[in-house]
Amino acid sequence: MNILFFVVLALYFLAVILQFAGTAFRKEALAKSSWWVFVSAFALHSLFLVLRGAIAQRLPLANQFEFANGFAWGIALLLIVVRGKLRTEWLNVIAMPAALLVLSYAALQPKEITELMPALKSAWFGIHIGSAVFSYSAFILAGCVGLRFILAKKKAAPADELKLSQMDYLIYRMIGFGFLFLTIVILSGAIWAEQAWSAFWTWDPKETWALITWIIYAVYLHLRLRKKKDASFLAWYVIIAVPVVLFTFVGVNTLLPGLHSYG
Amino acid sequence: MRFGILLLILIAVFSVVGSVIPQGRELSWYVQNYPRSHPLLLILKLNNVFESWYFVLLLALLCLNLTLCSLIRIVSVVRGGKRFVSSAAELPNIAPLAAGEREQLEQHLTSTGCRREDYGDKQVYYKHRIGRYGSFITHLAILLTVIFGAAALYLPQVHDQDCMPGEELRMADGLTIEVRDFRAKDDSGKLAFQSTLRLTLPDGRQSDWQSVRVNHPMTFGSYKIYQQTYGTAGSVTVTNLQNGGSDTFLMTDLSFLSMDNLNGVWFVALYPDYILTPEGELMPAATGDNSYPNPVYYVQTIDGEEKAMRLLLPGDTIEIGQLRFLFNDPVSYPGLRIKHTPLVVNALLIVCFVLMIAGLYIIFFLPPVLVKIDREGYAVGGPKPEGTRIELERLLQAKTKEESA
Repeated sequence: MNILFFVVLALYFLAVILQFAGTAFRKEALAKSSWWVFVSAFALHSLFLVLRGAIAQRLPLANQFEFANGFAWGIALLLIVVRGKLRTEWLNVIAMPAALLVLSYAALQPKEITELMPALKSAWFGIHIGSAVFSYSAFILAGCVGLRFILAKKKAAPADELKLSQMDYLIYRMIGFGFLFLTIVILSGAIWAEQAWSAFWTWDPKETWALITWIIYAVYLHLRLRKKKDASFLAWYVIIAVPVVLFTFVGVNTLLPGLHSYG
Repeated sequence: MRFGILLLILIAVFSVVGSVIPQGRELSWYVQNYPRSHPLLLILKLNNVFESWYFVLLLALLCLNLTLCSLIRIVSVVRGGKRFVSSAAELPNIAPLAAGEREQLEQHLTSTGCRREDYGDKQVYYKHRIGRYGSFITHLAILLTVIFGAAALYLPQVHDQDCMPGEELRMADGLTIEVRDFRAKDDSGKLAFQSTLRLTLPDGRQSDWQSVRVNHPMTFGSYKIYQQTYGTAGSVTVTNLQNGGSDTFLMTDLSFLSMDNLNGVWFVALYPDYILTPEGELMPAATGDNSYPNPVYYVQTIDGEEKAMRLLLPGDTIEIGQLRFLFNDPVSYPGLRIKHTPLVVNALLIVCFVLMIAGLYIIFFLPPVLVKIDREGYAVGGPKPEGTRIELERLLQAKTKEESA
């Protein structure tokens, strides 16, 4: 199993190298081959997750290694879907390394398959943690689009205005998608907490940081609605919000122990 | 909206503070861990941020803000709703349409499920009218969630209670709990933490025997019983040698088993493990977890003038006076959480959750589409025209590129 994981990691790495080379030397063939390597890595990654789930006889999202795997898989999935729908080749050079970095974090974690502890044996497990995968992935991808927007804006000619509008709107759609799923994470978590710990909300650090993340993106949605902030400001906003998402995922578990510390 | 954003930012900032500074500890803990800053920390109630007056005030102001926003929003949505489609006919064009582009736009809009209404030579295409209500539904749901959430947090009466298997426990409010058994592990050896309970409500209604385990509380009447913790108790069977009568006692705390209150056995402690010294004596030992691999009883026996501290293993018996004490295998017992709550509040809260998710789904996945097309050009209307505008611009640009190629 671990061999398959490292094959996936190596393929993502190769895809990123090819993508960088294709961008740096303006070789479209390299960029294209990078994409197909990335898609292959994603297919093998999906297979890895299915196999691990089959062996563990549960969703493979029960610890930091598994969640980071799901997280990287979610970024890759969203990137493939967005590229398929909107032809966003310009996003690959930033989003591919993002998936690779998250998977590299997984590589540093213990990889043993452990039995699910009783507190996690619930129908809410899949909904709560599965939604977190999509939510975090969408926020990271929004940050990637934000970064690409800032870079594109510096070089943009007036004719590129539509492309910039598309990027700005894609950020909004990504945030909207992530925000919906983060809401599902928080609300399903509240229902689960009431069943497991008797209270919907306990201000546990993980809950609190999920709420902080939710508020940060709620503020983004309202700022965007007011139209008083320009698109560059909003792009910077979603870039700066990325560390908060990562802290909610990694930092809280390691620095702020609480009821979610087993994650 | 500006005030709402400010409130959200303040709530987030205080939440960060509340997550970084451990909450609800003894005051001495803060004095010890924050030797310089603890006076300020305590004055600002940073040791209990989430129950401080200013945090509650922020939440109350947020509720007020949401109420006003919801009212303003619903008025504008209802007013605009009556003329949602017809008003689009008056929109000024945002771009002209070249030959063939009109047909292309109309074909695209029809193929994406838009309906059409004609106003003279103007055609209005529209879909997702429900999208206008998404924001209102979401804000209303958030408001109700805060209100019912506060009720669900503060209304229930919660009480933690250890219950020995075989015992019947009567609570102060008249609820009776019977625990038939408790198992820390299931038949396959996996951790299960499962109790079998029966409840009798204060009004006399009695439940069936039901199992309660982590994530699966038992609900009966307005009570919810949770499997919260577990412990291990010593078990001693005491037999009266005169009449043969016997009884089994489960013990966790210091207690004296005696018939005459003079001679008998003081139960001091139950240790989970022991080691054997080179001299062949038992030494109690602890384990790192909650397991009891080799339990050993630590007791004091009093038989007349003779007093002795002893370590006894399960299966050992001693006789003092007219009593025989048999030390059994220890027994696991559950720690239950008894929650008395108006269940309707929980149900309403969950309805609000569903409403909030539905509202957000409508906002992000069913945005209203409103497009007017006439001989000169086209216009995009509705509360959030951006997505449609970009989509149509892309469509027309792709066609232009195709033609120029």
